[in-house]
Amino acid sequence: MATNRELSMSSYVGIGVGLMAIVGVEVFITYQHLPTRTQLFALLCLAGLEGFVAVMYLMHVKYERPILFWSVFPATLFVFVFLCYIWPDAFRMLSLGLVK
Amino acid sequence: MNQSLAAEATHHDVIIEASPYGIEKKKLGMWVFIVSDACTFAAFLYAYGYVRVGSPNWGRPFEFSSILNGIVMTAVLLSSSLTMLASVRASQAGTKASALKWLGATMLLGAIFAALHLREWFKLIAEGWRLFFNPTGGPALFGATFFSVTGLHLTHVVIGVIALGFVARGYSQGRYDQSHMETAGLYWHFVDLVWMFVFPLMYLMNAH
Repeated sequence: MATNRELSMSSYVGIGVGLMAIVGVEVFITYQHLPTRTQLFALLCLAGLEGFVAVMYLMHVKYERPILFWSVFPATLFVFVFLCYIWPDAFRMLSLGLVK
Repeated sequence: MNQSLAAEATHHDVIIEASPYGIEKKKLGMWVFIVSDACTFAAFLYAYGYVRVGSPNWGRPFEFSSILNGIVMTAVLLSSSLTMLASVRASQAGTKASALKWLGATMLLGAIFAALHLREWFKLIAEGWRLFFNPTGGPALFGATFFSVTGLHLTHVVIGVIALGFVARGYSQGRYDQSHMETAGLYWHFVDLVWMFVFPLMYLMNAH
């Protein structure tokens, strides 16, 4: 159960405004017409930051026991990183003659 | 004597250890669901990311008006997360009317989000975009990835609004308590969290 150390409602509104500000930065980056890979990397980093803030504060992980964080997030992040390995490996199909 | 008591206890009582997480079972179950669902969305977005970067003549169909629509959708969904928080807070404080009012606001904002989303879909469909057809002549994968990823998210939003309706009904009738509100809130924040990745990747990466 969450503890009583939780933020006030006005602080949560501040977090919401902060998240919208990050969205503003994302839109700004979009119209800088960066190379696709650079744009993707920048947007993913900012989305990751937004996600971290949302998980810790909106989903209250910061106020739960640390064991919840340590048993859920390293494993999930491992899966995400492992997907990075699996997907490029799928390009091998192109050289196997299975795809024409 | 003690042995007979222990034997009796094992026959008649169920001994439940306290959860090491210090949260209720339903909330832990929701976390397990969220992790598995996050992996599903991650797989979709990874697949999209690779075909997006790997296709040099990828279509960029979104005018600034569509991006503006996406920004409004983000603001609406983020606001709904805040109203959900207010609803959970009110239920923890035992103010039922206030909790239901904020829950209603959350459902309304969810419905507005879904309507804005469908408006964007119909606009693309009117322009000729389909799951497997690109009206500009480039790769057809934009339609496949956009409609799949945003459709999956939209499904989550619609199911969330319906689920919140059931929770509101149960809470108003006294069948559900604040823990149900917290668990429903967890799901709703997750839907918001996923949108924080869907918007930049599916909309901003496809802006003119």
